[in-house]
Amino acid sequence: MSKALDVDSVLTARRDYNTQLARVVGSRKRAVGTVLAILAVLAAFPLVQLSGINFNYPLHMLLLVFMYVTMASSWNILGGYAGYISLGHNVFFGIGGYFSGMIFVFWGISPFLTAPLAGLLASLIGFGVGLITLRVRGPSFIISTIALLMIFRILFDNWQFVGGTGGVTLPLIDLPVEWVKVPYYYAFLAIAVLTVVVSYKIKHSKFGLGLRAISQDEVKAESAGIDTRMYKVIAFAISAFFVGMVGAIWGDYLNYIRPNIFLIILIAANIVLMAILGGKGTVAGPIVGTILLIAFNEAVVAYFGATQLNILGTGVLMLLVLLYFPNGVVGSLARAGNLPRFLDWD
Amino acid sequence: MATALLQVSILGLALGGVYALMASGLTLIFGVMRIVNLAHPIFIICGAFVAYWLFRLYGIDPIVAMPIAAALLFAIGIVVYKLIFQRDAQNPKYSEMTVLLTFGVALVFDGLLAYWFSNTQRVTLPSYATDAIFIDDIFIPTAQLYAGLVSLVVIAALWAFLQFTRTGYAIRATTQNRSAAQLMGVDVAHVSLITFGIGLALAGAAGALVSFVFSFFPAKHWEWIAILMSLIVLGGMGKLLGAVVGAFLLSLIAAYVGYFAGQTWSTLTFFLALFIILLIRPQGLFGEKLEET
Repeated sequence: MSKALDVDSVLTARRDYNTQLARVVGSRKRAVGTVLAILAVLAAFPLVQLSGINFNYPLHMLLLVFMYVTMASSWNILGGYAGYISLGHNVFFGIGGYFSGMIFVFWGISPFLTAPLAGLLASLIGFGVGLITLRVRGPSFIISTIALLMIFRILFDNWQFVGGTGGVTLPLIDLPVEWVKVPYYYAFLAIAVLTVVVSYKIKHSKFGLGLRAISQDEVKAESAGIDTRMYKVIAFAISAFFVGMVGAIWGDYLNYIRPNIFLIILIAANIVLMAILGGKGTVAGPIVGTILLIAFNEAVVAYFGATQLNILGTGVLMLLVLLYFPNGVVGSLARAGNLPRFLDWD
Repeated sequence: MATALLQVSILGLALGGVYALMASGLTLIFGVMRIVNLAHPIFIICGAFVAYWLFRLYGIDPIVAMPIAAALLFAIGIVVYKLIFQRDAQNPKYSEMTVLLTFGVALVFDGLLAYWFSNTQRVTLPSYATDAIFIDDIFIPTAQLYAGLVSLVVIAALWAFLQFTRTGYAIRATTQNRSAAQLMGVDVAHVSLITFGIGLALAGAAGALVSFVFSFFPAKHWEWIAILMSLIVLGGMGKLLGAVVGAFLLSLIAAYVGYFAGQTWSTLTFFLALFIILLIRPQGLFGEKLEET
C-alpha cells in the first residue's frame, strides 16, 4: 500500500521551507530610520545650552541613562543571552573607575583617553574570574558573583594606595559650567551606542546562538559541539569591557573615586532590574528598562527625598516584575505581537 | 605563643557556634526548597533589632528575647512564603528565579530597616556583653561564650526535632527526595511552608545572639550573605551537619587570619574560601554536587 517515500522531494521541500524562513527573518524591516532620528536628536541635544538657559539637569539625566544602558546591555549579554545572572557586575565598574582615575591623578592623562584601556583591564579580570566562577551554574554562580563584589569592596576599602574608604579626588575639568557635562554626555552616548550595536551583533551571530543554547540547556548545547565554557567566559569578558569603560568616565564625571560609589550592591540590583524590567535576552529591553527605572527612581527621590526608601522601592519593584512581569516590557509586547518596529531588534 | 594560639582558637570556636546557628536556617531552607535565600542575613538583622529594642525599652535580656525574635520571624517567614515563594515550583528556572526573588526580599527589608532605624552601628549591651572569664592567661569573653553555647543548644534542639518528630521526618524526607516524599504521602507544599518558617525562626534566634556579639546595622547583611554562603557551601548545601562543621572550620581559620594578618582580612577569609571551594570542590565536604538548574 505504502508509496515509496521520495527522499529527494522531502529534502527539497525542507530546503525551500528553510530558505523561506531565512528570507522572512532577513527581510523583516528594521526601523533603522527611527533609531537614527532618535540618535540625531540626542546628538544635537547639548546645543540647547546655547539658549542661555541651564539644561544641566536633563543632560545629567540623559547621560545617566546612557551609562546604565551600557551596563544593563552588557549585563544582558551574559545574563540575558546565556542566562548567567551576575549580581556583582559593578566590580568592573569599579575597576574601570579606579584604573583611569589613578592614571589621571598620577600622570594627568584624561580618563577619556584611558577608558578603552580600563575596559580592557576589566575584560581581562572578567576573563580570569569567569574561568573560575563560570564552572558553576545557577544559584552557585549568583552567589559567587556576590562574593566577588564583597572581595573587591574589602580590597579597595583597605588599599591605602587608592585612598582606602575615603577614595581619591580627581583633578577638575576646566570648562564653563554650562559645557562641563557635555564631553561626558557624548562619551557616554558613544559607549552606549557601541554597546547596543555589539549586543545586537552578538544576538544575531553564531556566538549569540551558542549563548542562547547555553541558557536553554547547557548539557545539550555542549553535546551539540559548543565550547560552552569558552563561550560563557568570552561573554563575561565582553560584558566586563563596556562596564569598565563607563566606570572610567563616571569616576571622572563625579571628580572622585571611592569604594562606596562603585562597589555597592544597589548598583548591581539596578542593573539586573533594568534588564529584567525591559525584557532580558532582548536587544532593546535593557534600554527600555533603564529609561523606566531611572524615571521611577527619580520620581521616588522627588516625592520622598533621597532616603533608604529608594532601596525599598527597588526591592518592591523587583519582586513585582519577577512575579508578574517576568518577560519585561519588550518580551511581553513581542509575545502579544504589538512590539513597535523600532524596538524590534531580535 | 602557645597561649596566644589557644586563645585565638577559643575565640574562633566560640564564634563558630554563632555562625553555625546563622547558617543552619539557610541550609535547612536550601535542603527542602532548593531556595538560596539571599534574604537570610537581613532576617538575622531583623532578629537582632527585635532583641535590641526589647533590651533598650524593657530591659529584656537578649537570650531571653531569643524565643520572641524567633516566633516573630517565624510569622514573617510564613507571610513572606505565602506571598512570594508559594508558586510555580515546577518551573525549571524556579531555583534561579527564587534567588532573584530573595534578593528582592532582602532589598525590601534592608530598605525598611534602614529607613526606620538608619544605618548606624548598634549593639545590645547586657551586663555580660563586656565581661570575660579568665583561666590562667586565657580570657574568654562571656558574650561570645554564652552566644556560642546557646547556639549549640538551639542546634541540638533543631537536630532532635528533625530526628524524632513527624514533621522532622517529613522535612528530612523532602530534603532527600522531593518527589519520592510526595509519593509517600508527605504534604510537600506544607513542609516547605513550615521549613521556611523554621528557617527564619532560626535566623531570628541567631539575630538575638548576634545583637550582643557583633555590632550590626541594616546594610551589614550584604557582607553576611557571602559569609553564610561560604559556610554552607563548604559543608555541602542542605546538610545541617555540614553547615555546623563548615562554620566551626571557617570561623577558626578566620580567627587565625585575623590574628596573624589583622582583623580586616579575617572577613576576606570567608569570601576567598567560597571561591576556592567552588573552584576545587563545588559539592562541599559532605554534599553531592549542588543540583544544577
